[in-house]
Amino acid sequence: MMDTDSLIDSLAADLRPVAAGTPDRLVLLALAAAMPLVLFIVVMPIGLRPDLAVAITGSMFWMKLAYTSAIGAIAVAAAALLFRPDTTPPRWLWLLAVPVAVFVAGTIREAVSMPASDFMAVWFGPSWPVCSALILALSLPVAAALTLVARRLAPTRLRATGATIGLASGGISAALYSLHCPEAGASFVLTWYTLGMIAPTVIGAFLGPHLLRWT
Amino acid sequence: MHAGLDGDARAHRDLLAALVPLLRRFYARRMGTSPELEDLVQETLIAVHTRRVTYDRGRPFGPWLFAVARYKMIDHFRKNRNDASLDDASAGWADILGDGGFEDAVSARIDIDAALSSLGVKQASAIRATKIDGLSVAETAARDGISEADVKVSVHRGLKSLARRLRGE
Repeated sequence: MMDTDSLIDSLAADLRPVAAGTPDRLVLLALAAAMPLVLFIVVMPIGLRPDLAVAITGSMFWMKLAYTSAIGAIAVAAAALLFRPDTTPPRWLWLLAVPVAVFVAGTIREAVSMPASDFMAVWFGPSWPVCSALILALSLPVAAALTLVARRLAPTRLRATGATIGLASGGISAALYSLHCPEAGASFVLTWYTLGMIAPTVIGAFLGPHLLRWT
Repeated sequence: MHAGLDGDARAHRDLLAALVPLLRRFYARRMGTSPELEDLVQETLIAVHTRRVTYDRGRPFGPWLFAVARYKMIDHFRKNRNDASLDDASAGWADILGDGGFEDAVSARIDIDAALSSLGVKQASAIRATKIDGLSVAETAARDGISEADVKVSVHRGLKSLARRLRGE
């Protein structure tokens, strides 16, 4: 065992300046690396929705994109914060309730305005059995990239950090998946998209204390 | 710390050296005199060095340092006892980690020193004398050879500009 003074000398010897804001830059770099891969998988093997050109003129396409990106963006910001040791989960995480509340309202409106059989057909639209699972699978690249970044930084709330990484990757994956998904019901999005985003969050909370340890 | 982040090796060396007694006390309060204590101090110094990008220049240094130190200790316990959970440090480990205010006191000292150093000499010394060392206005005036009104004005202006700075203006 080296004595403490010579340890300090050797640490100070290889000193390089570090730029302010490096953790945030690493997070953006991870997203820039992983998101094109997710987009590629959505475009190539899965396929964009065939009616994309028409869909972008309607509001539901943008509502789905806004719902998922808002959740993803809030989670990315929280994750970037939690990558620093002296932080706790931020209070503004309650903002996640805003997009959810909008879609709860939309679901209630669908439920009261449509005949029950139509509502069920929208809620359990044709792709419901695969929607959540695909969002979960597509969250893997972003989750892996953010995990690599976290391991280079210094999170201390490992379970919370793992969960926010999961939610961030799920939100981004769901946003890109919405370019494929032709479903148009608020009830559909609220159920299956949300499940698809919760799944990586729960997995992240379990894996966080194991994968995010640093020494 | 700031100079060290900018690449000033000497300042960085001085900082690490200054942390050694703080960390020894930090761990001694929690573990008693353990043969592993010096290992932990060294591991924490290495972490302070290698993870220094995670220190945000806009935030106080004390809490950052002790967050790293606390994490290192939990990690150490976990290595030795496989069932120990790393998470929720501040909740579950409070009984082991509590230290009767040592951490707060040291953090406050470090941060007060940093904050006061941003003021003029006269204001800083007037605030230090009346608010920290507990001297009266009259004693401070006599010590520094200035009028009592001068002391009061310095304290008032100094505190006002500190408050502005702490609010991030």
